[in-house]
Amino acid sequence: MIVFDKVTKQFPLGNTGLDEVSFEIAENEFVFLVGPSGAGKTTILNLIIKESTPTSGKITVDEIDITKNKFDKTVDLRRKIGIIFQDFKILLDKNIFENIALGLKVVGQPSYKIKEEVKKQLTFVNLSDKENVFPSQLSAGELQRVAIARALIGNRKIILADEPTGNLDPKTSWEIMKIFKKIEGKKTILFATHNTDIVNSLQKRVIVMKDGKLAKDQKKGGYEV
Amino acid sequence: MNEILKSIKRTPYQSLAIFLILFFTLFLSTVIFVSLTFFYSFLNYVETRPQVTVYFQNKAESSQIFKLRDELTSSGKVLSIKYISKDDAFKIYKDLNKDNPLLLEMVTSDILPASLEIYAKKPIYLPEIAEYLKKQSGVDEVIFQKDIVNQLVTITNVLRITAILFFGFLMFMTIIILIVITSFKVALKKEEIHLLQLLGATRNYIRSPFMKEAAFFGLASSIISFAIISLTIVYFNPFLSGYLRGIPTLGLNFHFFQLVVWPINLYFMLTTAILSLAFGIIISTSASYLAIEKYLK
Repeated sequence: MIVFDKVTKQFPLGNTGLDEVSFEIAENEFVFLVGPSGAGKTTILNLIIKESTPTSGKITVDEIDITKNKFDKTVDLRRKIGIIFQDFKILLDKNIFENIALGLKVVGQPSYKIKEEVKKQLTFVNLSDKENVFPSQLSAGELQRVAIARALIGNRKIILADEPTGNLDPKTSWEIMKIFKKIEGKKTILFATHNTDIVNSLQKRVIVMKDGKLAKDQKKGGYEV
Repeated sequence: MNEILKSIKRTPYQSLAIFLILFFTLFLSTVIFVSLTFFYSFLNYVETRPQVTVYFQNKAESSQIFKLRDELTSSGKVLSIKYISKDDAFKIYKDLNKDNPLLLEMVTSDILPASLEIYAKKPIYLPEIAEYLKKQSGVDEVIFQKDIVNQLVTITNVLRITAILFFGFLMFMTIIILIVITSFKVALKKEEIHLLQLLGATRNYIRSPFMKEAAFFGLASSIISFAIISLTIVYFNPFLSGYLRGIPTLGLNFHFFQLVVWPINLYFMLTTAILSLAFGIIISTSASYLAIEKYLK
């Protein structure tokens, strides 16, 4: 589903974000992407969603080479991907329903379908009673659940999670992980995190990044800081 | 509509600034448009009047006038000549002053002169014809329209160039101000735009609310500016009627139709309204488009 082939990313000031990184993630696989700050985790996620382009190497997403010069399907690519951020990126002037609906509105779905799907996702993340509530009235854990619902809506094939438990306490982090467990095997999930407890407990595939290089890629791996 | 109202509430001062600048531009543009159409129509009117009119003394015999007419016709320099007898002149006078019985009572056909209305084949013959007529016996006055037409052409050209320059400056200023204000609005939605891009929104989807809001402002400001101008025209209509008495219609001739400017009519007002609306919407949406495009790059 996602293939990195000798991908290098150099930033304008000359520092290297990624250095000849290669890996392959299969369809519906759950992969932890770990490493210290500056190791290149977010760079990998940004390259997958075409927020930036690699200096060299090839990236294939859903069998499409997104690094080709003539690639102009960024909108289509992003519609296959749901993104979850550490800082939630929930719009404060929209209620929970409207925030989740954004994921479908941008693809031009009719309002009856949006209503139906949003309700389904709200139930899935245990927030069915918060439909008309505004973000300022929710806790951090609830906001992250809203972000997950927004990422899942519209049957997106790939979920990219950038430190989704980074701003949460351990108990809430585990609640979030329970939701990820529910979608495991149904979506391709790339989960960037620092959280050693979660990585070591779940025993999933772990890609360890260090100084822009792929340090380790283990099936049922663990992670030590 | 709800989204537009929400956005206006969220940024009331920027919205007010957009509305005021658009209103100012549309008001001035419509005033310029109405004034120029009046000037051009008046110029058209004057140009279609006889180029030389010769009035004869009361003692002049009609045979003397006809002789002069025939001489002019045979000169090859005249396109047409219309003879207006004393009786014809009185009929015209009566028709023009039918609403003013006092003026009708004071005048009889005796005091109105007979005249010839002469249209030259080429404007260069006009001075020659006028000079020739002045030397003839029985001629009271020769009115040579060329000077009036030339003056009007000069005035209208100066007005046209001034209006174009002023309009260009106004457009440039308005678009720059609108781009700056809209950029503020776009910047306030920076996070939302970025999120929409990551969710796979197209450029059109992101542009759409800004464009709709811009169109709303263009529409609202053009309606209000047009309403104020219409009321002003209605208010000044009696004064204009006084000034333009004797002129039945003023209009602009295009290939397929004639736009009648005076008397003020529904068709002219509708044309002005449509142009004002279209201009308002085009200018506001263009500025909005440019502001967002700069941001989406």
